[in-house]
Amino acid sequence: MPQQIRRWIAILMGAALVVPLLAACGGQPAAQPQGGEPQGTITASGAFALYPMMVKWGEEYQKLHPGVQFDISAGGAGKGMTDALGGQVDMGMVSREIKPEEEKQGAYWVSVVKDAVFPAVNEKNPVLNELLSQGVSREQFIDIFITGKIKTWGEVAGRPEIADAIHVYTRSDAAGAPETWAKYLGNKKQEDLLGIGVFGDPGIAEAVAKDPLGIGYNNLGYAFDAASGKPVTGLVVLPVDANDSGQAETDEVLDTKAKAMQAVASGKYPSPPARALNLVTKGKPSGLAQDFIVWAMTDGQKFVDSAGYIPLTPDLLNEGLQKVK
Amino acid sequence: MDRDTSLRPPPDRTMLTRGTTDRLAGRFFWLIALLPIALILVIIVTLGWRARSILDVKPLGELLTGEVWKPTSGQFGFAPFIVGTVWVTLTTMIIAVPVCVLCALYLSEYAGPRLRGAMKPLLDILAAIPSVIYGVWGLLAIVPVVQSGIAPALKQLLGFIPLFNSKNPTGFSVFSAGLVLAIMVTPVIVAVTYEVLQTVPHGLREASLAMGATRWQTITHVVLPKALPGVIAAIVLGFSRAFGETIAVMMVVGNVPQMPRSIFDAAYPLPALIANNYGEMMSIPLYDAALMGAALILLLVVLGFNLLAVLALRQAARRAL
Repeated sequence: MPQQIRRWIAILMGAALVVPLLAACGGQPAAQPQGGEPQGTITASGAFALYPMMVKWGEEYQKLHPGVQFDISAGGAGKGMTDALGGQVDMGMVSREIKPEEEKQGAYWVSVVKDAVFPAVNEKNPVLNELLSQGVSREQFIDIFITGKIKTWGEVAGRPEIADAIHVYTRSDAAGAPETWAKYLGNKKQEDLLGIGVFGDPGIAEAVAKDPLGIGYNNLGYAFDAASGKPVTGLVVLPVDANDSGQAETDEVLDTKAKAMQAVASGKYPSPPARALNLVTKGKPSGLAQDFIVWAMTDGQKFVDSAGYIPLTPDLLNEGLQKVK
Repeated sequence: MDRDTSLRPPPDRTMLTRGTTDRLAGRFFWLIALLPIALILVIIVTLGWRARSILDVKPLGELLTGEVWKPTSGQFGFAPFIVGTVWVTLTTMIIAVPVCVLCALYLSEYAGPRLRGAMKPLLDILAAIPSVIYGVWGLLAIVPVVQSGIAPALKQLLGFIPLFNSKNPTGFSVFSAGLVLAIMVTPVIVAVTYEVLQTVPHGLREASLAMGATRWQTITHVVLPKALPGVIAAIVLGFSRAFGETIAVMMVVGNVPQMPRSIFDAAYPLPALIANNYGEMMSIPLYDAALMGAALILLLVVLGFNLLAVLALRQAARRAL
């Protein structure tokens, strides 16, 4: 082979080795608004609960500022926290309270919207009528999900002749919904929840929808179908007997998304399992991220209702705005 | 047309440059070849370094034999995960090995060239299907069948053996994971076993057949004994693939941190532990160190088995000569 070609091949090989190394070394600096028109990419990851809202906000923000791209992925609140603290994303979506260990590592959080976790069973449940008329109390949920004392559907409904076992499902991934649900059940943690671990919010909804004896829990956006407002096919949301009356009152029976949102907004549905959803950044947000978060908490709030979430009270929102401005 | 002048040095270069270029190139490629090995060492060292903080607090023995996994209360017992991984992998091998070895034997000894030509690519396609697709398929097809068909049937027939008797009412179990994994490791085992069987000299088969042995006798008395180290290597390769498979297993195994007592119990293998919980790593003290430790254990086991397989294959190649 002529000397010339050999030399070129050697140069190309050297370049092929060195260039990727250089590219890997440089990071992506956070996009800064250029004084005038914001542009760049906003990356977010984390809770399934907050995912639809972020997507909606992303679309609306992009309409106002076409130079901004969004890169949003789900994977559970834990992932969102890890990614935010590790610098992989601009903001993490976290659907639970922030822990002191996380704040020590630099987690700077602000609540942006409210939603809730709802218990769900299959529509072919053998004692569905009793469940819908009596509701299920917190103690019963604790005995199903935490202590395991209640093992059959008959025990829940007060009909001991029904001996069908309860198939309990929980989340296997580190997420906000199980943390919140466990917090409701006597201030426990996700690891205290019994049941078969299924990955992801859609996963647990699917598992319960296919198992007539199943019970699980889902975020508002995954328990109800966004288009029809009814529970996802195969699921029935259980009325939570918050006042232990032994009866499910009409506003405790949540057969449509609108009723569920109303129950959370009015405070009738207990908090937890209703809780504020948070955005977490490493340190106080700045630049494009800050711009977006402030927008979401002010102008962005008008999209909250149509996206199927509950807005926070104005006091809480103002408190949050003070934190990020 | 000029002749190729590469065998003669260009007039303005000396013999010294040619030799230097040759040596430099050799040294350069040697460095590049070291990169993958260096990478493995870097991974082991990084994992070990990140895991050291939990080893400072808890002795290794307690970590490996502890049965309780409650990170928020500082309890990190890896035993359920190690045992769960072993159960799932063993179930996989018990299901996969007979099927795969017999399949490879058929392809090598009995199949005509047309059938062989059709089956080999199909098996390779199995290897190309992404893991998550196996997981979703397992979720939709295997889990309900185990729940409503296989588990109750086996419980009725063989329920007196604790292995088949389980309180788990769902299909998310060691058995489902084993079944899905068995299909995933089939291409690996069949391909390697087939190649190993092909290295057995045809002369041996011909000699055996000439003595009046049937094809099956030839296989059991001549071919398999000669190919045995290679077949074992193939099985070990499949084992290490099954040991480390994450996504597909995670979706069907149930993810309950308990010691399984039956193949129909739910379990929680090590890769699933890491994949499910790496999100929470930064939030609970020592959790990240614990998960890095788990990853290190996994890596060392898989590396160990792969090394065994390579050594066995080398032995097989030497035997075949």
